[in-house]
Amino acid sequence: MKKIIYILTALCLTVCFCCCNKGDENVNKDVSSAISFVDDDGININMDKPGERIISLYSAHTENIYYLGAESKLIGAYKTCTYPPDAAFLERFDYNGDPEAIIAANPDLVIIRPFVRKKAPDYVKAIENADITVVSLYPDKFEEFDDYINKLAMITGTTEKARPLLNNFHKELDDIKNTTALISNIQTIFFESTETNIRTITPDSMAGIAIEYAGGNNIAKDTKPIEKGSSIAEFGEEKVLMNADNIDVYVSQRGSMNSGASEQGISERAGFDTIKAIKDGRFYTINEKIISSPTFRYVKGVRELARYLYPDVMDDITPYQNNSTAARSDFANILFRYLHIPIFVPSSSSYYQTEQKGHTFGLFDDVNWQDEDFDSIEACVESGYIEGFKENDKEYFKPSEIVSRDELAQAIFVIGDFSSKDVNTYISDIDKSKHQRIVQILVDNGIFELNNGKFEPERQVTNNEILKALEYVK
Amino acid sequence: MKKKILVLLGLAAVTFAMFFSGCSSTQNNSDGQNDEALQNADENKKAVLVVSFGTSYNESREKTIGAVEKKIADAFPDYDQKRAFTSQIIIDKINDRDGEKIDNVDEAMQKLVDEGYGTVVVQPTHVMNGEEYDEMKELTAPYENKFKSIKYGTPLLTSSDDYEKVIKAIAAETPQLEDKECAVVFMGHGTEHFANATYSALDYRFKSMGYDNAFVGTVESYPDLDKIKTDLANYNPKKVVLIPLMIVAGDHANNDMAGDEEDSWKTQLKKEGYEVECIIKGLGEYSGIQDMFVEHCNAAISNEEAE
Repeated sequence: MKKIIYILTALCLTVCFCCCNKGDENVNKDVSSAISFVDDDGININMDKPGERIISLYSAHTENIYYLGAESKLIGAYKTCTYPPDAAFLERFDYNGDPEAIIAANPDLVIIRPFVRKKAPDYVKAIENADITVVSLYPDKFEEFDDYINKLAMITGTTEKARPLLNNFHKELDDIKNTTALISNIQTIFFESTETNIRTITPDSMAGIAIEYAGGNNIAKDTKPIEKGSSIAEFGEEKVLMNADNIDVYVSQRGSMNSGASEQGISERAGFDTIKAIKDGRFYTINEKIISSPTFRYVKGVRELARYLYPDVMDDITPYQNNSTAARSDFANILFRYLHIPIFVPSSSSYYQTEQKGHTFGLFDDVNWQDEDFDSIEACVESGYIEGFKENDKEYFKPSEIVSRDELAQAIFVIGDFSSKDVNTYISDIDKSKHQRIVQILVDNGIFELNNGKFEPERQVTNNEILKALEYVK
Repeated sequence: MKKKILVLLGLAAVTFAMFFSGCSSTQNNSDGQNDEALQNADENKKAVLVVSFGTSYNESREKTIGAVEKKIADAFPDYDQKRAFTSQIIIDKINDRDGEKIDNVDEAMQKLVDEGYGTVVVQPTHVMNGEEYDEMKELTAPYENKFKSIKYGTPLLTSSDDYEKVIKAIAAETPQLEDKECAVVFMGHGTEHFANATYSALDYRFKSMGYDNAFVGTVESYPDLDKIKTDLANYNPKKVVLIPLMIVAGDHANNDMAGDEEDSWKTQLKKEGYEVECIIKGLGEYSGIQDMFVEHCNAAISNEEAE
């Protein structure tokens, strides 16, 4: 009888425990471990404390770890981890290689995604056999992003940072949505995810949801995934051309796999010149890292889409319509907004292994990747409109320094198309200019006026002067 | 003892026999295949295999490689026209995207054998006798003794006369070369191969033919953009015209030459204060260049027929 009571009690407790657990299925109630959950490979994770020597084998994890502020714990990363720029200089580990290399680095935590275990099961097994904790995480859907970040925060010891970061992430997305929601002339977009069969993205994919936040009308919103769980959906050339008159904006996703077309690729497709977006010069490419990857940088991708759809609303220049002296960061912001320059994202994971002829993205010593002006500064420098400075093997942008007329002249000349005239206006202080040929052409073209015969190349300019000069290149 | 010696001798004999038979069987097999291929090869069954690096841009491909192939096909009606690309990445991309299967050199050569061709001319569309050309020759070499005759047409810039003809072909379609206030800058690819000297030789020839305003540079080697900048500063033109010195105007022409990025030649030269015009036109689009490939092919065929 006693035995029966014991069994019934045990059963009741089990049922109770299961019921309690139902609301939070993925949390493993192993009270002996401080960190306990089931990862995305279905493995029970029990850690006494967060990782201190972490290797990330997925670029999104690496990015998010930097956002969470746990980068000092990262001792290595996979070869595609190139954002933030510092991540590109972490020691490289490759799941296609020998697991001994990663084991020898002595990590206490290796963070992968299910794809890695699927592609290199022996590699992952070897790490586990060496008593190194392996955690596999990947949010399949946008709504799983918060849960994914929370788990990443738990295992990296940054739980207190996750909540404000997530709050801000959602607030920024909502702000974009609220801004574009006020627009009455809704723009229709086609999003090309692969050149093969001109596929698009599913409406519930990261990119599909980005279109919603950006306030676009997705012409391919009723598509189904090419296979269960895929974010790629069939659409095809015929349907694109059937909708040629309705597509206001054509966006092609570029990346390492399943790339959409380049500008040249699109221009060479038969019949595509009949598409409204192509005729209107509204074809854009977007790097998959900012639009299809589960990172905090996704906000930038959504904002970029919104800029493609509603450039004048998103790129508001009114804060710069004044006679304040322009700092170099203002100069970058004005050009970035006025010309709607796309943000720069290195297209290759080997970007930092290749010596760049000019500026190397993200390596200005005085511009942090989390600065508000980071993207506008990088975009202007990568476009060749503003130059940085190289001093003692380091790059500087000097964001708070003034903008000279000489610098403005060079930018205006590079942006526009100006021919030399046979006027040859006499400029008494031309010898003080670093860009004499440019200044001469722009003065001859009436873009810049002289003051008593002087160009005054070193004189600082105001925000309004920059805007006025830009009117000549519109 | 005697028994041991006998056993050792026996073993040695068996080993020797095995070794010998192994070697000879391989030899016989290979020779046998070649003999068989050679026997099946019909010398009256003729083909020109046009070998190109390739491009995934369909329209550019037809305007350049396709146009060269067509001119060769029209010029030699007795020869069947075959195509091969050397870039497997491009072959795979076209296959994945368009379902169009283009042979690599190995596949194309094997098909020629299988289809019983006895007379084969391989005509590359390479600009010069560089790495790509060497690699192509390495790939075709194992097939050489499977045909009654195999000949090679030369790349675009091979003989001294080729330089003059290339310049004339370009000048015929580039009126800007006649405008001395305008500098015409050609952007070649550049290579670590010793054939890289071809670019400087072409630049030299331009000048000796009176085109002081023509400058030849490369994206990946020497003469580089810095050298071009120095030359332009000395020449002091009012305007610069950029033209790719590549068979196809693809990524290099669109991005490295005419792109809007900081490091493109267009941006770099605008920063120097030049008005820049970009002509996105591959060498394969010039009628005179297409004719030169026909001539090179003809030279190979004539050589073969003379034998």
